[in-house]
Amino acid sequence: MSKLRALTMPKWGIEMVEGTIAEWKVTAGDRIKKGQVIALIETDKIANDLECEFEGTVARVVADAATVYPVGALLAVLAMEPATATEIEDFVRSFRAAAGSAAAESPGTAAATATAAAPPPTTAAIPKNANISPPARLLAEKLGFGVGQLRGSGRRGRITLQDVDQASKPAAAPAAGKPVSVAVTTAALDVFHASAYAKRLALKHAVDLSRLKGTGPRGRISRADVLKSAATPPAAAASSQSFTIEKFTPMRKVIARQLTLSKSTIPHFYLRMRVRVDALMALRERIRKDGGKPPSVNDYLIRAAALALIDVPQVNIQVHGEEIHRYKHADVAVAVATDRGLITPIVRCADTKPVAQIGSEIRDLAERARAGKLKVEEYAGGSFCVTNLGMFGVDEFDAIINPPQGAILAVGALQRRFVEDAGSVTFANTLKLSLSCDHRAIDGAVGARFLSALRDLIEKPLRLIS
Amino acid sequence: MPLSKDQLRRAYRQMKTIREFEERLHLEIATGDIAGFTHLYCGQEAVAVGVCEHLANDDFIVSTHRGHGHCIAKGCDVVGMMKEIYGRRDGLCKGKGGSMHIADVNVGMLGANGIVGAGAPLAVGAGVAARMDGAGKVSIAFSGDGACNQGTTFEAMNMAVVLKLPVIFVYENNHYSEHTGADYAVGSKDMTKRAAGFGMLARKADGCDFFAVYDLMTEVLQHCRSGAGPASVELDTERFFGHFEGDPQRYRGPGELERLRETRDCLKNFRATAKARKLIDLAELDAIDAQVMQLIESAVTQARAAPVPQAADVFEDVYVTY
Amino acid sequence: MAKMMLREAINKTIHDEMERDKNIVIMGEDIVGGMGTAGGPEAIGGIWGLTGGLYAKFGANRVIDTPISESCIVGAAAGAALAGKRAIAELMFADFVGVCLDQLYNQMAKFRYMFGGKTKCPVTVRITYGAGMNAAAQHSQAVYSMLTSIPGLKVVMPTTPADAKGLLTTAIRGDDPVMFFEHKTLYGISGEVPDGEYLLPFGNARMTREGNHASIVTCGQLVRAAEKAADALAKDGISCDVIDLRTTSPLDEECILDSVENTGHLIVADESPPRCSLASDIAGLVASKAFAALKAPIEMVTAPHTPVPFARELEKAYLPNAAGIEAAVRRSLAYRH
Repeated sequence: MSKLRALTMPKWGIEMVEGTIAEWKVTAGDRIKKGQVIALIETDKIANDLECEFEGTVARVVADAATVYPVGALLAVLAMEPATATEIEDFVRSFRAAAGSAAAESPGTAAATATAAAPPPTTAAIPKNANISPPARLLAEKLGFGVGQLRGSGRRGRITLQDVDQASKPAAAPAAGKPVSVAVTTAALDVFHASAYAKRLALKHAVDLSRLKGTGPRGRISRADVLKSAATPPAAAASSQSFTIEKFTPMRKVIARQLTLSKSTIPHFYLRMRVRVDALMALRERIRKDGGKPPSVNDYLIRAAALALIDVPQVNIQVHGEEIHRYKHADVAVAVATDRGLITPIVRCADTKPVAQIGSEIRDLAERARAGKLKVEEYAGGSFCVTNLGMFGVDEFDAIINPPQGAILAVGALQRRFVEDAGSVTFANTLKLSLSCDHRAIDGAVGARFLSALRDLIEKPLRLIS
Repeated sequence: MPLSKDQLRRAYRQMKTIREFEERLHLEIATGDIAGFTHLYCGQEAVAVGVCEHLANDDFIVSTHRGHGHCIAKGCDVVGMMKEIYGRRDGLCKGKGGSMHIADVNVGMLGANGIVGAGAPLAVGAGVAARMDGAGKVSIAFSGDGACNQGTTFEAMNMAVVLKLPVIFVYENNHYSEHTGADYAVGSKDMTKRAAGFGMLARKADGCDFFAVYDLMTEVLQHCRSGAGPASVELDTERFFGHFEGDPQRYRGPGELERLRETRDCLKNFRATAKARKLIDLAELDAIDAQVMQLIESAVTQARAAPVPQAADVFEDVYVTY
Repeated sequence: MAKMMLREAINKTIHDEMERDKNIVIMGEDIVGGMGTAGGPEAIGGIWGLTGGLYAKFGANRVIDTPISESCIVGAAAGAALAGKRAIAELMFADFVGVCLDQLYNQMAKFRYMFGGKTKCPVTVRITYGAGMNAAAQHSQAVYSMLTSIPGLKVVMPTTPADAKGLLTTAIRGDDPVMFFEHKTLYGISGEVPDGEYLLPFGNARMTREGNHASIVTCGQLVRAAEKAADALAKDGISCDVIDLRTTSPLDEECILDSVENTGHLIVADESPPRCSLASDIAGLVASKAFAALKAPIEMVTAPHTPVPFARELEKAYLPNAAGIEAAVRRSLAYRH
């Protein structure tokens, strides 16, 4: 086994073909442990930690942050034992992505074209019939440069003046250096009718393109327009800023992208229902009296939602373009607020698990979510989501569907309310539920059936514990 | 339905205008004042006029390199045309097209065409447009006996039949494909039968007899305007000048041109028929002749005096926006 | 924004535009497909799946399935446009440009000019082009260089689904004849496409990578190869501009010259053979207008002066690729002064 190992762009899920390194957590020379987070990787679906599966020293960081790499691309080199710079260099050069990975076709790993050194000058005379242009011959003779080994670049191998000129000069220093970013920086300026370089210069010189009138082709703002404007800056801008600017974190970007996509492309409709939880409260009270620690109301709700999804399978779905994916079991996502943002880990096959197990799974997932330790498979997928803001005293709210899930249930705070019960008025413990459905795949009546099945399960909770 | 006197006067005036326009050009070109290649329509006037007198402004025609007659018959401005042929800035096409590329879409004249056989597909497209407009409009493809041998013409005829379009392929058989006999170049020697083989109504008539052309077109246009599909019309006609101006015409037989001018002149035929059938007083036609001569004289005078284009004009009119 | 494939973006754009403008007519071979067969109309919807659903929605007067007659398809589109319509014609393969070239370059390209600017000819000719699918010499060519050389035509090549929508909408609504080149290997690529009205002006190149060491100018299929090369070079500290021309006529000269004036190194990658090609055209442009900025000879990465071969290995050897572009950048930077 080699003492050097490649750390490559992971493939998370079937569809991932490339990822962006949002942030490196290590630098060359760092000693790292197995399981240590080495980078934050962002895909078009998620942002997640990349953990190192070996113990060793970071020999070289190959990939740049904020740059897109195909799955399988070399990101960094890890040394199991000390290695020389040459060994590392050779390893990087000879690295080949796994066949079939997105990076396998990338030229990035191709060996660099070596710059040929100038062949040693020889004084051999150039034969009369040599295939060489007269000025090239003159130059070669003047320099005393033998052209015998030279392969001409002209038609039928004719040696040109440039061939002799180049071959007789010492090789230029190989163009190489630290990795750089070539990401386009001007995307935010795309709305302006400006040339590509004008936009770049506008960023560099902080020129407001909206103030400029283009003099370029078709009235486009050209490089010259920006430079002219940069030379004459506008009157001093207001200096005291009453706010601070913070860039979206990778996770915030993912949340923003997913939810914008959801809210702007999925036709949501909302069904609201108030349910009584007296029986459920009584059930929990009984467990407590028996000396047990009852699961939370939310745990029961997850279980109830899972069973309702089995009862009304038309809601137990994911929506992919014009396809509906139906599931046998209910994988229910649970919204967890963390310092970094919202994340929705999943209770798999919640329909097959007792409430207590669901409860302990949720607590484990939530804890690890807050610590940023969730694995991708723990929050990818799911057909349904439950989000609960009752603990903050929120009476009721509507949630945005987390695609490709088909629906989401928003749960409000426990409220005591007057209700009419068998002709008399009495207090009841109630919750307000709001179900958001993707109308592309779920119709109103189906959603309503689901909600009423859910109510029956909550109000007659025996099935939840059987 | 017999033609009214107004219609007769108009038809005669159109034919005479074409005739004098071309006869005059023949003289003017010889002086060297006019540049380029010019193909004169002289002798074929009854075809253009016999067809176009049936057409409304929004019917379409597509013409050929020998297009002056079609332009005049469809209503292009004669002075504008003359200026164009002289290469003047205020010519119909600003001096950019010349004799072979006169067009005016405002009168449904979709262009003369320097490429033999290129017009038929364009006429199919105009037929598509005509049908979209749905008001019984038609599209006419003028072609010579030369163009009738081009593959594009065959493609166009087939497509018009497949799509059942209101397109009429008018074949002016003047017996010469440039400098080659039509009997040699049309393999079957019968372009009407060939057109019929495409599955369309195919008819023929004497193209030197305005009345024969006009009557046949009455019937054919009725067919097309009713939505019954395309048709082909072969009109037997004569070319009084060479393929282009300057053509020595060594392919002509002895005395051929004199004989054609004597026996196959559609204007003479028109007068003879008018007289025989007592359709119109010949003195009226003489008066039209005089007016036409004046019009052509004026057109030449104006064209000669018109401003020439500027070098900078070369860059204009390539694109609508670029 | 909606994620869709380039082919879906084209299909949707045609649907949207035909819906918007009753004056638009589309014609081509098999664009309905199945006419006169047991399968019936719409059995196919175009061999590339680009025209599906149009016939059912817009009917036979506006969606015209033609016989195999390329000259007449293109000519009829031009004729309909002269007669006041807005036409879209489809050439199943770019190679068939050879069959109907007269209608493209003698007819529609020249009408406006020959007729003194008094007419317009709003035709979009959609042309499927390019190598990479082992379709051999008569179904794989990139003839955009040839058509770019013709005054009166505009030449457009989208490389992303969003660009396909923006450029096709501009093409259809514009009043000039447009050769709209669709690379057959790009039909399946996916990307976000803006909703609603989205028009991209012609003559605006897209910078897809930004750098300072070399300028890679390309179009069509090779944009992705150029990006791969630039990304690979970036790992060695070499940063490149990658310019996707989007339209080769009109050409965004300014973008090319700006970039070369900054980097001093030009690499042109072009899928057509090298002689009188887009590559040689741009090389000529830069040599004449940015000579002082050049620090090395211009590198042209093109297909060879051969027909497109059939066998996988041969076609792979024929097509310019990322490794070739990367090597060309390195060669240019290694030029000895």
